[in-house]
Amino acid sequence: MALPMIREILAQVFKIPATNPFPARFLPPSVTEFLKKVGAGEATINPPVATPPRFRGKIVYDRDGCIGCNLCIRVCPAHAIEFIPETKRVRIYVTQCIFCSQCNDICPKGVLTMSPEFLLGTEDRFAESQIVE
Amino acid sequence: MLSMDVILVTILAAGALSIIGIVVGLILLGIDRRISARMQARIGPPLRQPFIDLKKLLSKENIIPENAIPSLFNAAPIVALASSIVVLLYLPIGSMMPILGGYGDLILVMYLLAVPALAMVAGGFASGSPYATVGAQREMVSMIAYELPLASIVIAVAWLLYSSGIADPFALSSIVANPIWSLVGPIGMVGLFVLLLTFAWVSPAELSKIPFDTPEAETELAGGVLVEYSGKNLGLFTIAQGVKTLVMGGLAVAIFFPWNLSPLLGLAGYAALAVDAVFFFAKVILLMILSVTVIRTGLARFRITHVVTLFWVWFGVAGLFGLSLVILDSVLAGWF
Amino acid sequence: MSDGTPTKKAPYVVPIGPIHPALKEPVQFLFEMEGEVVKKADFAPGQTHRGIEWMGMHRNPVQIVHLTDRICGICGVTHSLAFARAVEQIVDIEVPARADYIRVIIAELERIQSHLLWAGVAAHELGFDTLFYLAWRVREESMDVIEYITGNRINYGLVQVGGVRRDIVPDQHPTIKKCLDGYRDLLGKMLNLFLNDTTISIRCKDTGLLTFEKALELSCVGPTARASGVVKDVRVDYPYSAYGDLDISPILPSAYGGGINGDVYDRIVVRLLEVAQSVEIIETCLKEMPDGPILWESKLPKLLSACKKAHGEAVGRHEAPRGECLHYVAMDGHEAPAMWKVKASSYSNLHSWIPMLEGEQLADVPIIVASIDPCLSCTDRVAVLRGVKRDLMTKEDLHRLSVEKTRRIQGC
Ligand code: SF4
Ligand code: SF4
Repeated sequence: MALPMIREILAQVFKIPATNPFPARFLPPSVTEFLKKVGAGEATINPPVATPPRFRGKIVYDRDGCIGCNLCIRVCPAHAIEFIPETKRVRIYVTQCIFCSQCNDICPKGVLTMSPEFLLGTEDRFAESQIVE
Repeated sequence: MLSMDVILVTILAAGALSIIGIVVGLILLGIDRRISARMQARIGPPLRQPFIDLKKLLSKENIIPENAIPSLFNAAPIVALASSIVVLLYLPIGSMMPILGGYGDLILVMYLLAVPALAMVAGGFASGSPYATVGAQREMVSMIAYELPLASIVIAVAWLLYSSGIADPFALSSIVANPIWSLVGPIGMVGLFVLLLTFAWVSPAELSKIPFDTPEAETELAGGVLVEYSGKNLGLFTIAQGVKTLVMGGLAVAIFFPWNLSPLLGLAGYAALAVDAVFFFAKVILLMILSVTVIRTGLARFRITHVVTLFWVWFGVAGLFGLSLVILDSVLAGWF
Repeated sequence: MSDGTPTKKAPYVVPIGPIHPALKEPVQFLFEMEGEVVKKADFAPGQTHRGIEWMGMHRNPVQIVHLTDRICGICGVTHSLAFARAVEQIVDIEVPARADYIRVIIAELERIQSHLLWAGVAAHELGFDTLFYLAWRVREESMDVIEYITGNRINYGLVQVGGVRRDIVPDQHPTIKKCLDGYRDLLGKMLNLFLNDTTISIRCKDTGLLTFEKALELSCVGPTARASGVVKDVRVDYPYSAYGDLDISPILPSAYGGGINGDVYDRIVVRLLEVAQSVEIIETCLKEMPDGPILWESKLPKLLSACKKAHGEAVGRHEAPRGECLHYVAMDGHEAPAMWKVKASSYSNLHSWIPMLEGEQLADVPIIVASIDPCLSCTDRVAVLRGVKRDLMTKEDLHRLSVEKTRRIQGC
């Protein structure tokens, strides 16, 4: 009977686990309270894993450079971009965006970019953080 | 015959030991999960995770499936827990003699060990789910399978004590008082070692752990015998599982490693009891890690047919081989 | 035991699915059992229709490429590559050579991560969670490299009609090479852990047999077919992208020394060895990658108008980790294609379940089901929307419905 795994696991017990730690050591009773404490420097948080260069996170829009050409809307697969006729500018709904960065490629003025920000979860689709304009 | 005092003390001690048994059992489950996680390069849950789980389970309602037999379905977890605790009361904890020692012996313990499994079988059949039914059948089959090696261990021990002229060879108190290793010569040592290994493989089967967890087989039976259990009933089964782990460890300690620390340290009275109890639990933890955690982490699940062949053929032979070595040893010792 | 409890004689039915821990995606199995043995097996896919083709037919090819990324949760480049190749044939686009090499590199990285993912799932189905954690842990290395090259872990968004969107620059080579070397070192260990472990081999040898004839008859693809000895690999049979420049041959289980049985064990062998093959392919591609542009047309509006003008139909194929994946696209001078049909690789493999499962033990059902590496969400297509109150449709029903729909579209 050959059980190569037994050796493997006996060696592994004495090594450092590979798991990325959860932000808090234990689930805090209230996440918002915990985050407040972290902000005040009273608690520490395990930092998230670093993103690689050219990671595609939350979209960033420089509305001053935009010329309202509508090209980004034409290629957005998720219909996440809306044109606002009054201001001749666009509005991007992050909850709908699929982070493909196709709009970045086509924008003639290069005013759309992807940031490394990825912690975007929220309960409200139309929260301020979820709309870029 | 028995005075009121003795009965009262026995009841109190039994109650205290049950609670200690449950707590230690759950801690054992926590240690098992933690060590197993480390072996898999995970951080693993905190040691008190089984308590957190239990608290949650006990606060939830029981859901009884429509085509279950409610009486049997609800009775099974209680019987399983009660019988595991009763076995515990028959075991010597360190230098403290078994509370119920006067009322039964190793044979009774063997029978009682089968009761939690039987309760699970009954509960499984009573669930009215095809998964639970298949699981219950498998549980029955594996129970029958590991009974043979287990029996050879018990017979070997009893034979040893008997042939050494010790009165009451089946009583756990006399087994603990006379460490079996001191009763045999070199051949018997080998025999006992074979039996120890056999016992190490019977334990995970008795506890339905991988590779012998076919009755629960998460991937095909979705929990098998336990599939319909939820809430408090599942909580009771969890406690029973913890106590059973402690019992199997305790049994191994009592049979194979009964030595105590207190004579070495020259302690007496309550201090000795406490030190020995701690030492006892330490031994149980170590044995559990070796025979349950390592095996369940390092192997794949067997098919039920493999379980049967393994126990009837391989460990059956191993058990009988160990037994015959032990007998041979004592016969030879009688000649010379 | 009168409450329907099975006895040895009466066969009883065990349903597995649509939701069950043995299944990673919904599909329903019905097993007629006799004791522990499966006497008769049947399955019903079609539990996860998502209407992705319909969505595609309302979008232009540049948008669809990103939609194809999301057909499968594991194959992030398979579908986009097959789709892009179909459109490139219609629009008559010549893909720059450098882009072809980058496509191959990413496709092979995907094969590595997909096979390791599968290895983990297989170990879990065998009740071997330790191996599952190990396989997924080492899989992270390739995921990290994919993220490093493309920007994201799962939805790479790398392929574009006419090339790729991101270059692999020399600065990136050391990181990629480090990962490849890691896999080379690891391979021996993985082979040892999977193939020499007694508990795995007694469960996998001679289980889930698929004979060579059956595999041919059912038109199985990918590792499932190769494990039964069918020499079949789109990369070799119909070379595309940079595969034509590479010296590769399909991997059969005999490469590991043993014979070809077509059992679960052989499927493990084939997939593990393919990981090694992919490592070599990537290494070669990195070395031989020519210089040049990575896109046929970097001005997207131009690409869009070229697509809009195009007429015709084409089939794009790619050897996905699970086997041949095929996209049929028809364009008729509109922004959106007139027709887009996806055939995921698992579609060809599902039917091999029946001969594999019948006569096997219930305990082996999970590993046999997993052994073809089914990807059901990519496969499921048909959903009965309204009107027709039937769960099962025969070929005739489907034919009649399609004729009706064509008439409706053509307005006659
Ligand atoms: S990143 Fe993609 S989905 Fe998001 S707004 Fe841009 S084009 Fe649309
Ligand atoms: S493509 Fe760029 S410039 Fe044109 S509307 Fe979009 S953001 Fe503005």
